[in-house]
Amino acid sequence: MEQIEVVLVSGRTADQGAGLEVGKTSTSYFESVAVVELSADDADALGLGDGDPVEVATPHGSVVVRSRRSGGLDRGVSFFPYGPWANRVFGSYTGGTGMPSFKGVRATIRPAEGQAVPTLMDLVEALRGGR
Amino acid sequence: MTVFTDVICPFCGCLCDDLEITVEGNKIVRTRNACAISASKYMHHEENRIDGPTVDGKAVGIHEAVDAAAEILASARRPLIYGLSSTECGAVAEAVELAELVGGVVDNTSSVCHGPTILALQAVGESKCTLGEVKNRADLVVFWGCNPAEAHIRHLIRYSGMPRGLFVPEGRKGRYIVAVDVRETRMGRVADLFLKIEPNGDFELLSAIRAAVRGHKIRAETVSGVPRQQIEGLAERMKGAKMGVIFFGLGLTQSDGRHMNIDAAVGLVADLNHHTKFVLTPMRGHYNVAGANTVTAWQTGYPYAVDFSRGYPRYNPGEYTSVDLLARGEADAAVVVASDPAAHFPADAARHLGRIPVVTLDQKVSMTALMSKVVIPVATAGIEAEGTAYRMDGVPIRLRKVIEPHEGVLPDAEVLQMIMYRVRELKEGA
Repeated sequence: MEQIEVVLVSGRTADQGAGLEVGKTSTSYFESVAVVELSADDADALGLGDGDPVEVATPHGSVVVRSRRSGGLDRGVSFFPYGPWANRVFGSYTGGTGMPSFKGVRATIRPAEGQAVPTLMDLVEALRGGR
Repeated sequence: MTVFTDVICPFCGCLCDDLEITVEGNKIVRTRNACAISASKYMHHEENRIDGPTVDGKAVGIHEAVDAAAEILASARRPLIYGLSSTECGAVAEAVELAELVGGVVDNTSSVCHGPTILALQAVGESKCTLGEVKNRADLVVFWGCNPAEAHIRHLIRYSGMPRGLFVPEGRKGRYIVAVDVRETRMGRVADLFLKIEPNGDFELLSAIRAAVRGHKIRAETVSGVPRQQIEGLAERMKGAKMGVIFFGLGLTQSDGRHMNIDAAVGLVADLNHHTKFVLTPMRGHYNVAGANTVTAWQTGYPYAVDFSRGYPRYNPGEYTSVDLLARGEADAAVVVASDPAAHFPADAARHLGRIPVVTLDQKVSMTALMSKVVIPVATAGIEAEGTAYRMDGVPIRLRKVIEPHEGVLPDAEVLQMIMYRVRELKEGA
């Protein structure tokens, strides 16, 4: 399958929390958040091996991250740890509440073979450049 | 070697107060009783630190950095002061005063965590208790849209799951634990009952449980993916509890419905109080986000999203909240204290931080610091500085200092005072 549609949910993980306390520029932070989790069925449908890069896209933006299989997810639900990679795809509309939609967001995921996962500095440069 | 006992962890809203921190020659060498995240905070405390103050990436002295920050603020028309949830209450108070001085907006990270909770509780009230009461009395504990096994790692061990309480002498065996989530996390596996709910289906499921509690027949076979029998069974169990508590997380505040999900949860708890004692408590994330709300509320009347542009405080989440303010391109300068909005706001909003002068006060190199015009390193509250923080249940606890900060590195509150002093000088000179 070329791509699948998922409902994206973001959240904290213990690795993300521990990684950010080492530092945002650390390898452990990068490894804990530049990753999206899929159900085994969805990963199989896309022909993904564990750790293969995927592109996650919404109308707000797209980002390439590594993929990981997770036993706790239903088909069609995908989990993205909090962080600057996840925030490439979430929109800023808050519906007058101050809170953007960080959970329950429709997205597409497709394999991104050969594409590099952006570094934190790549993301800083993107924001600085208005992208 | 010094061993500090009863140290308060400055990471999450649990504010665990039983840590042991061993210090050798002003270096933390060992932690006891700390969870994985807390241990990481203490043991990696010295890594990736901001070396010294910078302006435009060039190393400067603290006074030069303060001057640059004050000049940005004194000439700004709509400055935003943001963060504050991972610092102590004294710094929050200074930040509110700074906002008043420069006619800016002061907002804290609750606008992107439990802001919708606050909106709902302001509208419909809350039935609450301390975590000590949960430990001693609660025999039914619901975790809705939260995953303490990853985010509040010792919550179950210290307060809500395992401990033997005065009226729950069997500990874990004396409590029935329910987890409601869109995915089966470690929390779901620990619970006695796990309800897997469809994304964005919280309001409907809460309303269905509420209907069942009130004795209405549910006609649908499933609500938000949860079978009718489970809903009715949970309603009966809730009514039969000696004391129940709903802990809820960002699964309710960050999905469709936002504050209306909390409104529904409060309604359920209110209905249950016709049968038994029931309370609800938000799982506050940053260790002092509750303190940031409390201090801002007692100083301005409002807990977050406060605008001082008319000289007096006005409150309007959705308008003065940081994501909205940045996404509209309205802020023309920002001061960020103990937070990283460039990393944690949607890119649409975060990219505005690349267009305006930003002053960052933080311990470690963050994405926001990398985008800032002025960066000032500060002492870490709870490790290198004392202060007060509010636990998720609203209990204030005094943070301890276990090591000395680097030479010349000051706490957030003192740096903010220095900036204000200089802003006043600039305004008087103008």
